[in-house]
Amino acid sequence: MTITQTTHSNYRIARFEQSPGLSEDSQKNITKVKAIAEHFNASASRQGGIKQRFYLLSKQWKNDTQYLSSINEMVLHPAYQQIVGMGPGAIPLILLELKTDPDYWFEALKAITGIDPVVENDMGNLSKMTESWLDWGRVNNHIR
Amino acid sequence: MKIGIRVTNPATKEYNCIAWAAGDDKRFWWPLGGYWPPVVPRQVSLESFIKVFNNLGYEKCDNGDLESGYRKIVIYAQSDGIPTHAARQLDNGKWTSKLGKAEDVEHDGLVLPIISYGLPVLFLRRKKSLYLPS
Repeated sequence: MTITQTTHSNYRIARFEQSPGLSEDSQKNITKVKAIAEHFNASASRQGGIKQRFYLLSKQWKNDTQYLSSINEMVLHPAYQQIVGMGPGAIPLILLELKTDPDYWFEALKAITGIDPVVENDMGNLSKMTESWLDWGRVNNHIR
Repeated sequence: MKIGIRVTNPATKEYNCIAWAAGDDKRFWWPLGGYWPPVVPRQVSLESFIKVFNNLGYEKCDNGDLESGYRKIVIYAQSDGIPTHAARQLDNGKWTSKLGKAEDVEHDGLVLPIISYGLPVLFLRRKKSLYLPS
């Protein structure tokens, strides 16, 4: 059996190739390993897909909401709603986005996680709200 | 129709039009998910926005004409009455607006090239000499 690795959407994908002349046990093991690899590859592909989709939606949302003062309208934007619909898988992506380009992602994070780490006194302060969520992300192992 | 509009400050997401009209360039004022004066209900309604500016000493007035000794605010809303935007009058009678998460601009009149703001629906004024403890 040979193992090769390729890169796909920032994930290293393991590929297993079967060699001829192996025992039945070895063939069974290879089948098991292949199943695990396929599961891993599918998961990695899904992750890559989520990431790509998130950044497309994020870009669209930022572009369409740049002139809005209304957080209600920002939140109701279809791209924002789709990001919320991604569920917990979007949390690390949102937190990374907050880290690099802070924006009003807080309602999305609240909707997905069901919590709000921002204290009342910091409401409206983008830097402090961002830091509260990044701290939460570090404590909960969503970001390093 | 030509709209006289000039950028006066670069884009920032730190504050929005309501904050800018209220004289705050550090916070994003909005009933949902933003800063909102604690004495005012967190409701996205014209009544709630009026109370915000009442709290800062402003009272309703008839129009946006320049009046000596007064500072004016205009609130914009969509056709359903939901507030979208606010602008503050300058001493020269022109207006200053923060365009959402984008730039601050000075505009000659009340027409702004952003359809989603709707129309100016309400004017408020206060005496420039009014002292408000922070």
